[in-house]
Amino acid sequence: VTEGALEGIRVIELGQAVSAPYCGKLFADYGADVIKVEPPEGDIARRWGPFPNDEPHPEKSGLYFYLNTNKRGVTLDIDTPNGRDALLGLVGKADVLIENERPSRMRELGLDYETFSKGNPGLVMVSITPFGQTGPYAGWNGYDLNAYHLSGCGHRYCGRPGEAPLEHGTFAADFYGATAAAAWGMAALFGREVAGGGQHLDVSTAEVIAAVFIGAQNIGGYAQDGVFERRTGIGMPLGAPATILPCKDGHVWMLALEPGQWNGLARVMGDPDWMQLEMFQDMFVRAQNSEAMYPLIEQWTAEHGKQEIMDRCQGEGCPVTAVYTVAEAAEHPHLKQRGYFVEVDHPELGRVRDLGPPFKLPQSPGGPARPAPSLGQHNDEVFG
Amino acid sequence: MAKALPLQGVRVANFGWVWAGPMTGQTLAFLGAEVYKVESRARIDINRILPPFAEGERDPDRSLQNHAGWAGNGSVTLNLKKPEARELARELVARCDVVVENFGPGAMAALDLGYEQLREVKPDVVMLSMPAAGLDGPLKDVRTYGMSLTSLTGLDSITGYRGGGPVPVENAFSDPLNGMMGAFAVLVALQYRKGSGKGQHIDFSQQEGVMQMVGPAFMDYVLNGRAAGTMGNAHPLGVGAPHGVFPCAGDDRWIAIAVMTDDEWKGLVEAMGGPDWASGYADVEWRLANIDALHERLAEWTAGFDDYELAKRLQANGVAATPVLNVADLLSDPHYKARGTFIEVTHPLGFKETIYGSYVKTSRTEVAVRPGPMIGQDNERVFKGLLGMEDERYRSLVKAEVIF
Repeated sequence: VTEGALEGIRVIELGQAVSAPYCGKLFADYGADVIKVEPPEGDIARRWGPFPNDEPHPEKSGLYFYLNTNKRGVTLDIDTPNGRDALLGLVGKADVLIENERPSRMRELGLDYETFSKGNPGLVMVSITPFGQTGPYAGWNGYDLNAYHLSGCGHRYCGRPGEAPLEHGTFAADFYGATAAAAWGMAALFGREVAGGGQHLDVSTAEVIAAVFIGAQNIGGYAQDGVFERRTGIGMPLGAPATILPCKDGHVWMLALEPGQWNGLARVMGDPDWMQLEMFQDMFVRAQNSEAMYPLIEQWTAEHGKQEIMDRCQGEGCPVTAVYTVAEAAEHPHLKQRGYFVEVDHPELGRVRDLGPPFKLPQSPGGPARPAPSLGQHNDEVFG
Repeated sequence: MAKALPLQGVRVANFGWVWAGPMTGQTLAFLGAEVYKVESRARIDINRILPPFAEGERDPDRSLQNHAGWAGNGSVTLNLKKPEARELARELVARCDVVVENFGPGAMAALDLGYEQLREVKPDVVMLSMPAAGLDGPLKDVRTYGMSLTSLTGLDSITGYRGGGPVPVENAFSDPLNGMMGAFAVLVALQYRKGSGKGQHIDFSQQEGVMQMVGPAFMDYVLNGRAAGTMGNAHPLGVGAPHGVFPCAGDDRWIAIAVMTDDEWKGLVEAMGGPDWASGYADVEWRLANIDALHERLAEWTAGFDDYELAKRLQANGVAATPVLNVADLLSDPHYKARGTFIEVTHPLGFKETIYGSYVKTSRTEVAVRPGPMIGQDNERVFKGLLGMEDERYRSLVKAEVIF
C-alpha cells in the first residue's frame, strides 16, 4: 500500500455507532493514524451486527468491521479519573479529536474544547451529534432516525401521501453529518496556521440535511411565498416519466423527460402508437396525464428485465437505470473493474470483502488495508 | 471571531454545474477559499432557471434555490466553445490551486481543460473530477439524474415500506452529499500537496460516494449472502424496537421514536401511563419478534397527541423522540432558529431572501454567508485584476461573446 495522503496526522476518535466512526474512517482510510477510544464494553456497533449466521460476537460485527478499518483501538473508562487523564493525554498529542458523545455527558466529565486544547492550541475538535451542542434540543436523546426526521427529509421527499415519511434503509443522517464533519474538520486542520489555531466544530446531523438538502431547494420559496411541498411517492411529480417502476425481475428508475429521451424510449419500446398522442408530447403534459401513461409503460417493463431495459435505453440516449439490489450492486462488474471492492484479513472473520474508499487519489491511494481493531488491541502499544 | 478562515489563500476554478460540483465550491468557500464558478450565458446552467424566483420574476439571477445551493461561489463567464475562452480558462487555472468539475469523463479534455492539459499551466494543480460513475470502467458513460444515481448503489432497493417495492427519493439526495465529500477529497489532496509538492487528479465516482451509505447492508450480504429489502423506518440492523414513525394529531403530523435500551423502553412505558399490554413487551427479543403488533399499539397511543408536545413529554422521560418536521416547520422550529440554520439576507439586486447559513458551527472563525452569485459577477475582478487584462481587450472579449 502506498503512503496515504494524511500520513503523520494523529486523530483520536471517541466515537460509537456510525457518525463519528465513519468520520474517523475517512481520515484513517486516507492514511491518518486514528486511535479509537472505546469504553471497556466496546463500541455499541460491536453489538449491532450483522454477524455471520446471526450469532452475536463482539469481534464479528459487520458494521464495526466496515466503520473501523485502519484504526488502532484502545479501551478507557473515561468515567474514572485515570481514564479521563489518559484520554486528555492522548488528545494532548493529537491533531484532531472526533467525538459523538452526548453534550451533557461531556460537560459532566469536564471534557470541553478548552480543557482538551490546553497545551495543544492547534487541536481541531469535531463533535457530531443528532442535534448539536447548542439550541433547545441539545440535551435531547436521539438516534439517526430522530435526526433524519427532524431534518424534514422524509416529510418532503420520501414516502406516499397519507403514509409515514420514510428513512432510507440506512443511517442517512449519520452518514450525511459525518461527511460534512470530515470536510470541515479537514479544512480546519489544513488551515490551522492561517486561522491562528485549531477550533471546535459543532455538527448536528439533523441540521446538515435540513440545510444542504431540504433547505437548499425549499426554504427560499417557502419564506417568500408561504407554500411548501410534501412527498408524493412519485419520483418527480411535475415531469414524467420520472419514477421507479416494476419490471420483470425487479425495478427500474424510469426517466425520459427531454424530447430526445422520450423518443429514445419510444424506439426501445417499438414505437407504440400511444406514445405519439398529443397528451404525451412533453414532460409536463405527460405528468398531468401520468395516471394514463404509467400503466402503459409498466405493461412493457413487466415483460423485460432491469438490465436489458437499462442497456437498451442507455443505448438510445435515455437515462433509465436498473434499481440494483444490494447483491447486484455488490457484484457489479463496473465496480469490480474499478477496484471499488477490497479484501481485508480479519482475525475472527477471515478474509472479508469491504467497500474501498469513496474517492481515488492516484498519488496517495489509501483505502482499507488493516482490519478494525479487536477490543483493546492496541492498549499496550499506545499506553505502553 | 474576526480571525482568518482556514482556507484563506486557496483559489478554486469551479467548472462544476447543477448541484454537486457547486456544493463542493460552496463548502470550500464557506471555509475561506476564493471560488469562481466558470459558466456561460451561451448555455445557462439549469440550476439557475429552476423556480421559484425572487418576486416571481423569472431570471437566471433570481432563482431562490440557486442562491442557497450555490452560496459562497463566485462567478465568471466564459463561452468555452470559443478557443480564446478556453485559453482564458487555462490562464485562470494557472493562478488556482484547485479545479473542480462534474461533467462526464472526457468532457474537460475535449475543451483542452483535461488534467494533463491543465498540468502544463499549473504543475501541482489538484483536480477533482466527479462524474456519475467514475473516470473509467464499463459504466463510465452511464446517463443518470441526481435522484436516480442511487439506484446503481443498492440504496434505492432498501428505501421503501417494509415488504413493499422501492419508494423513490424525490430529489437528488446524492448531490449535496457528494458535494461535501468532494470538498473533503480536495482538502486531503491539498494536505498531501503541502508535504510532497505534488498535485493530483482525483477520480471521484458519485456512485461509489453514495454507496458508502449502503455499507451496513453490504456487510450483511458479504457475511451472510443476504440482500436486504425495503426497511421502512426500522433500525437498519434490526436491533431496536419500537423504531419508527407514528401518527399524531393534525394534518400529516408524525413523531419519530427509537427505543434502543431497556431504560428507554421503561421511560416510554411510564410516559404511556403503564398500560397493561406493555408488560408483555418488556423483553427486547419479544419486541423485535412482534414489532408490527407493537407499532400498532404505539400508534394508537400517539395518534391523539400533538407531535411537539409528545416529543417533549417523551424526552422528559429519556426517550429518543422527535417531531417529524415539514418544510414550514424548519423555519419556525425553535432549535433551528436558535442555531441560525436559516438566515435572511439581502441580495445585491435589492430583495430579501432566506437561504441556509453555515451548516457546521465553528468556534474560531466566523463563516460569512452571501447568496449564490449573479452570473459573471466577478468578471472584472478576475480578468482585469487577477489576469491583468487591459480594459480594451476586456471590452472586446465581452463584445465578441468570449467573456459571456
